[in-house]
Amino acid sequence: MAQRDTEQSFDESGGGVAEEEIESRVGLRYTLSQVRRDPTAMFGLYVVGFMTAIAIFAAFDHYVLDYWFAETFWMHPHRDPSNIQRLLPPAWSENVFGEGIWKYPLGTDHRGRDVLVRLFYGTRIAISVGFLSTAIGMVGGTIVGAVSGYYGEWIDDVLMRAVETLYAIPFLVLVIAFMAAFGRELVYAMIGVGIVQIPTFARLIRSRVVSVREEDYIEAARAAGVRDSRIILRHVIPNSFAPVLVQATLQVGVAILIVAGLSFLGFGAQPPTASWGQMINQSRDSMIVNPWFSIWPGMAILITVMAFNMFGDGLRDALDPRLQN
Amino acid sequence: MSSEPLLQVRNLTTQFFTEEGTVRAVDGISFDVYEGEIAGIVGESGAGKSVAAQSIVRLVEEPGEIVDGEVYFKGEPIVEFEEDDDGDLAPTDAMLTNEEMRRNIRGREIAIIFQDPMESLNPVYTVGGQLREFIEINREVGTSEAKAIAVDMLREVGIPDPESRYDEYPHQFSGGMRQRVLIAMALACEPSLIIADEPTTALDVTVEAQILELVDELQEKYGTSFIWVTHDMGVVAEICDRVNVMYLGEVVEQAEVDDLFHDSHHPYTEALLASLPRPDQTVEELNPIEGVMPEAINPPSGCRFHPRCPEAREVCARIHPDNRDVSEAGERTHRAACFRNDAFDVGYDESPPLEMTAGSGFSAGLTGETDAEAESGGEAE
Repeated sequence: MAQRDTEQSFDESGGGVAEEEIESRVGLRYTLSQVRRDPTAMFGLYVVGFMTAIAIFAAFDHYVLDYWFAETFWMHPHRDPSNIQRLLPPAWSENVFGEGIWKYPLGTDHRGRDVLVRLFYGTRIAISVGFLSTAIGMVGGTIVGAVSGYYGEWIDDVLMRAVETLYAIPFLVLVIAFMAAFGRELVYAMIGVGIVQIPTFARLIRSRVVSVREEDYIEAARAAGVRDSRIILRHVIPNSFAPVLVQATLQVGVAILIVAGLSFLGFGAQPPTASWGQMINQSRDSMIVNPWFSIWPGMAILITVMAFNMFGDGLRDALDPRLQN
Repeated sequence: MSSEPLLQVRNLTTQFFTEEGTVRAVDGISFDVYEGEIAGIVGESGAGKSVAAQSIVRLVEEPGEIVDGEVYFKGEPIVEFEEDDDGDLAPTDAMLTNEEMRRNIRGREIAIIFQDPMESLNPVYTVGGQLREFIEINREVGTSEAKAIAVDMLREVGIPDPESRYDEYPHQFSGGMRQRVLIAMALACEPSLIIADEPTTALDVTVEAQILELVDELQEKYGTSFIWVTHDMGVVAEICDRVNVMYLGEVVEQAEVDDLFHDSHHPYTEALLASLPRPDQTVEELNPIEGVMPEAINPPSGCRFHPRCPEAREVCARIHPDNRDVSEAGERTHRAACFRNDAFDVGYDESPPLEMTAGSGFSAGLTGETDAEAESGGEAE
């Protein structure tokens, strides 16, 4: 019978201690302490933190100081140097163009610009696109999924079918079509990649919301006259959010990868702005004579994406008690 | 007590439309709740008690639906049906909208305390934060004032050191303490009626006794009316003023608590009372009610209790008893739905007794069919 009259025996409240132990395992502090015990996750977190710090500094130099720092203490990431030495290898090696010099520790690109400086300032693009597009996907997906799961019935059907349609279109085609319609600028790449991520988050949170909405505290909130929108925002979403958080850290890596791919294809940050994908694109012609020019941005992408994945995996393990010993 | 009831429930009918068929969870129940009174709804699992409680605030979930009846709260139509042009039952225009229910009734006028205190608090917020949220929503006060009220309420329900416990999370509270918090939540918005849906079932007996005492105290202080849903006759005796006994979606007897305990007019009530362990009697074995309650999807013909009733006669299987006034002189309203009472004139006394068809537990339904069940007659209204 569809009724909640399950007569419970009195021993329910007896296990207070055990229950407290279990519940404290869900707390944020507990999660963090679990992550701290996981060296791989911590390594990932450090790398992510390091990259983010560089990105923030680069953004500051770009927007506020207008490359004053780069020009004064280093060199401008976009401008061609006065004495052009193209495609130099790293400082410790040599190639057909000459011997590497310590002025350009990682070598120079096809226009004689320092690869290290361009990598450094390219971090801004990778990190900001990774975070912002994931944020767009997360917010959009969370709202769609929560509304869909909470109301159910035809709203669920309409929203989830729409989301699945989005899922069915190859993501690169979708983003490129989106950018073809609105423009090639980076901001559209961000929004496009964000939209591509909506289905992942929507389906994930919906599956949680469907069970959370049956909880007694949701019923209690409804019985207390709380508005549906408030129930969704304050009661349903916070209780369904843990897997979304894990997915988000993993998605940042995915987003960085997608945007690098787009830049490689010529969508996204436009020259002379330095971005990793675009650097790989520019290095295609000289891949044989100076492979280092391709290797460095490739490594930057690899390390960053891997760091996000390591941290995300660690976070998932910490949040899922079943995976613990 | 005023003469006009605070809550009037008339012929309330709630059905669940499942794949197996229509479950008549609440099948035309009527009762009143007066101001300052604790009304009990008592019955076994599956009697429809909780669905009845949910129907009063229109919180029945899919696939359940209120299909008929009236519920008036302070004269306002919470549920009201009328026949439309096609002769089908439809809600009237006067019936409160969902929005009005949410804004004006739920929480503000009618609060609910749920069965499981372990699950009824949101684990991600502090106890105080949740209490404050409900007060802010229903009493239109600012945050700091709501917090002051919340701390007062926590103190009122006997939470020691409420200022510091205000910032603690639900998992840091014991079951009894959480139930106190839920009571505080219900009371904090100063409703006229609190529906308590088996609020002490999940607690152990000592804590239950404390909670009952607390409710009794607070009820006297605030004058709030209660509907107390329970399966425990002991709890009923402890706190209820009037009792409605439910069986398979119907109210089979309603009376003042003393009348019910000392002069019950329905064999089901008697059986419930007989199944209680009594401290003043030593018995070899308790006296359970034979059999289990049948599914509400396909209720027995005639009186729904007849397959388990020790006093069932042939007529009971044939005719469905309605709920009639059986009060004796000097008694407040006492209604029962059993042909044994003189208010019914269906020839119970002349009717041959039935053999009980319900075996105990496992053998239920295997004892063979009686003639009476084979010739299931029409229902008398």
